[in-house]
Amino acid sequence: MKSSTLLALTASALALPGLSQSAKADAPPATTTLAYRVSDYQEDAIDKAKVLVGSADRYGISVQQLQLVTPVGDNYSLSLGGSRESMSGASPWYTLSLPGSATKVIMSGATIREERNEVNAAGRRYFDNGSISVNAAYSKEHDYQSLSGGLEAERHFNDNLTTLTGGAGFSSDELNPTDASKFNRIQAASKQSRSVFIAVTQILNSNSLVQSGLSYAHMSGFLNDPYKLFDKRPDTRSQWAWTTAWRQFVPAANAALHADYRFYHDSFGIDSHTLQLEWYQNLGNKWQVVPGVRVYRQSAAGFFHSGSVFTPGITTSSDYRLSAYGAISGTVKLQVEIDKFTVSVSGERYLSRTGLALRGGETSPALVNFTRLSLGVDYRF
Amino acid sequence: MRAGGKLLLLMLACSTLLTACTPVAAWERGTLAKPEMALESDPLAATLQNHVYFSKEASSGGNSASGGGCGCN
Repeated sequence: MKSSTLLALTASALALPGLSQSAKADAPPATTTLAYRVSDYQEDAIDKAKVLVGSADRYGISVQQLQLVTPVGDNYSLSLGGSRESMSGASPWYTLSLPGSATKVIMSGATIREERNEVNAAGRRYFDNGSISVNAAYSKEHDYQSLSGGLEAERHFNDNLTTLTGGAGFSSDELNPTDASKFNRIQAASKQSRSVFIAVTQILNSNSLVQSGLSYAHMSGFLNDPYKLFDKRPDTRSQWAWTTAWRQFVPAANAALHADYRFYHDSFGIDSHTLQLEWYQNLGNKWQVVPGVRVYRQSAAGFFHSGSVFTPGITTSSDYRLSAYGAISGTVKLQVEIDKFTVSVSGERYLSRTGLALRGGETSPALVNFTRLSLGVDYRF
Repeated sequence: MRAGGKLLLLMLACSTLLTACTPVAAWERGTLAKPEMALESDPLAATLQNHVYFSKEASSGGNSASGGGCGCN
């Protein structure tokens, strides 16, 4: 996952030289920004006709995020952030394919209640023609903790029309599944991830720019889901992702178009396409509305089976997230600037569909639909 | 050619196409500096969205090195 600290500092670093800045020197943000978001995420209940045992209700999550981004002197910036998630609900435990019947879902029994807390920090040093940054994050749940970090560098060329960005990161996670003895789960496990990326950003003209990048990640260790019955995955996973982002300002409309595409491929046999379009419509000087649409299509993992396979030791999973499916989501955001504050409200409606699956393959009866609502306040000083 | 090689070739091809661009003087870049033209206009919102998609889909990654994990299931 991309940390908010790195995103914030990247956003400021890629704020291309404006009229008030030196044409050569890269510079930290001009102001300090304190941002707060509160969000509510709610999954639709699963169709009761698909549930054999357990509650049809799924996950609900409340999230609070806080982030401070501030310049430090003339050549540095600092980002500090944190988030707290409170989760409750049930999730699919395993599936059962019965003769002459559609595959049924067995949901986890008792309602899961969990809390996740994360802290993160990043620092960036600016030079005449680029910058470097370091970042670190730590998250803790009752049964999971993760320590991650990374290094990123960018260099401008061609009179700041071209920017080359590269970086590397790591993550080290520890798992201690709940009720391990009761449900014959592993008592303790770990997994690690190493990743690298490179990207090129190019200004095309005074109203548009494009960025294209390639990332590679390698995961190793315990990659199974301990809360899914008979879930055994390979102990390594290699992931490739190619992304391209295009930003086009339309002066006649006083609006900007964002188009983002990603192609993903991994060693589990999963390929996916993601296309996201957003339209940033300014309404006067203070208001902005941003409608968007996202289309996602993935193929199934080579070892995915719609009905759980009850053979110990073989590589298999009935986790719906590894099935062949797709999703379409609509988003909308409304924001207003009031003096030094920016207030925003946004929402997303996400619908999974087996009909959007990439290349056919086995599908799952446990696909998820969800609704997300967020309220945000930014304060610049 | 393996998927990794195809991806690298595609990226190099796109980079080559980018050489046919209009020179933009520093004083002509005001529009590009607008917040709505940023590659990431709302980092906190993007972090949450990426976290949700990471938890609910099989794909992850993009134009940065990956961050930390979670026990999201």
